[in-house]
Amino acid sequence: MVSLDKIAHLAAECRFDSSGPAQGASLVGIDGGGIDAEKLSSLGEGTRHDVCASTYSPREKPLPGICHAFTQDGRCVSLFKTLFTNHCTHQCSYCINATGCTNKTRAFSYTPEELARITHSLYRSNYIEGLFLSSGAGRDEDRITEKMIETARMLREKFAFNGYIHLKVLPGCSQAHIQEAALLADRLSINLEAASSSHMNEICSTKDYNNDILQRQRYIQQILNGSSSSSGSGRSPSVLPAGQTTQLIVGAAGESDEEIFQRVIHEYREIGVKRAYYSAFSPQEGTPLESKAAQPLWREHRLYQMDWLYRIYHFRAEEISHAFNEDGFLGNADPKMAIAREFLDRPVDPNTATLPELLRVPGIGPKSARRIMAIRKSRPIGSKADLSAMGIAVKRAAPFLKINGWRDTTLEMWQP
Amino acid sequence: MRVPEGFCRYLSMHEHCTERVLARAKVLRPEEVETSTDPETVRIKKMVYAVMGESHRMKAFVRLAPQGEAVLYGFMEPRHRIGVHICDSFARRNEGTIIVLGNGRESWIALSWEGRIWRNRGGGMAETLEKLRLMAALRCGQDGSCEEKAVACDFNDKNPCKDLSGVEDLWQVYYDSQYCPERKNLAAFKRNMPRRDQEAAGLRLVQNRRNATLDSFNIK
Repeated sequence: MVSLDKIAHLAAECRFDSSGPAQGASLVGIDGGGIDAEKLSSLGEGTRHDVCASTYSPREKPLPGICHAFTQDGRCVSLFKTLFTNHCTHQCSYCINATGCTNKTRAFSYTPEELARITHSLYRSNYIEGLFLSSGAGRDEDRITEKMIETARMLREKFAFNGYIHLKVLPGCSQAHIQEAALLADRLSINLEAASSSHMNEICSTKDYNNDILQRQRYIQQILNGSSSSSGSGRSPSVLPAGQTTQLIVGAAGESDEEIFQRVIHEYREIGVKRAYYSAFSPQEGTPLESKAAQPLWREHRLYQMDWLYRIYHFRAEEISHAFNEDGFLGNADPKMAIAREFLDRPVDPNTATLPELLRVPGIGPKSARRIMAIRKSRPIGSKADLSAMGIAVKRAAPFLKINGWRDTTLEMWQP
Repeated sequence: MRVPEGFCRYLSMHEHCTERVLARAKVLRPEEVETSTDPETVRIKKMVYAVMGESHRMKAFVRLAPQGEAVLYGFMEPRHRIGVHICDSFARRNEGTIIVLGNGRESWIALSWEGRIWRNRGGGMAETLEKLRLMAALRCGQDGSCEEKAVACDFNDKNPCKDLSGVEDLWQVYYDSQYCPERKNLAAFKRNMPRRDQEAAGLRLVQNRRNATLDSFNIK
């Protein structure tokens, strides 16, 4: 504990000790800062459907994942998520910023300085953890990418910004720009939007799926591979610590869940994306797909569950494929339960089962499975009450478990 | 192997933590904390989680406003004894800036610079801020003609003061733009933003203000 006077004196010294311009830069607001509220709102709305679940970044000093607010749709607002410009020359039939949209809002664009100042002000006031910057392609994706990079550079260098930066790679932008962006951002991503080239042609005639999107993902992959081999095994990569991700629109091009799943598996195995995000299609006024029915949110939810089974529970892709019906769609039911009905033909004994076996029982997650493994070293698990105390959803798990030689058999288990 | 130091540190910040509970926690093994169903161990674990939860939400929800160039301050009235911990965290995030957190009764002050943290504790936040303002004004008088304005706030109030920097209005416009009406899920919203923690952080979140109608306020 030191005196207040000393703290004030030290802070004053910091100012003369090249403490970085961040401290001196004043905060901007709507009134005094000359920020156009309509622009802020329109460019913010342009990213409403983009998902970024966490701001955790495994840097040398890891950045925490913090949600600074939640909207009434229950989703986290942790980043200043915005478009650089909503001007776009692509013809995506689901997008309100596309050329073919008859209900386009006014075209707006930030300057790098303006965007950097807004981000700095929100970050310093503790409203956000960082910046999520996407954009319409404008007339030239490389020119817009340059502006986005300039914004990120200004934040890092002029404002001494140490927060999280997620930059969207615009389809078709140059490899050199991707390399430049990778040096400034925690994460890069490019949206797949569709599950295959033919599905992409259904919803956007101006993007080449293989060249404009998949090839850009490979460029990012090359950067990540180069970085992790130079930093040694087991260490966080020195560039793009939060890796690359991607996002798909569910249901816009009429693709099945199984087609989405096959694409995502390919993304995890071949491209090395950290995560895939799903966004249920929702028709936008004035777009060619305006009259197409919105996809139910549960479809998105079931795809996330399937994704979770693959990434966290380490289910094999062949196992998961049993959750799809003949047409390749998931029903509105837990895919883990459907897989358990297919594969768990013998009851699992929690006292002898291996970790993968426990993880295949509905109601048992990775945490509770490890808890079972730890507790049975000291005493046997002999009742449902024991399991309940360990946080297991006993009602769902019991039909698949053999406890003390007994097994519950319920009608639920034999439901088609 | 005993529980990590961080576990006991969080436990000691709990409003109901006693020497006896702390001594009990110090002899626990990590796997015991993870798997034990003993009521006292479970209670200790819950106490730690409660402190960690409140700490996390204060780091998320407390908003900072500037007083001059060298000070950022924010309202905070937590249930647990986490004032110093949160203040340190904000100081590390804003190197070289004095962080003042507090309310009408007490305040925590921290400054982080070159890996070190200097701390102080004071009475009500208004008093601490006024002292800092006078010190800055004195320094301004010595080396130039700058002006340090006083912060006009009532820190005994849950919503202490209007943010004069305009950042709050900027945030509100952005926050409204992120809402997808077709995904409305009030249950998830309430679960993730407990009113108690919003109040403890002095949050003045006007939900979706731009689209609000009289019906939103249940006025018949």
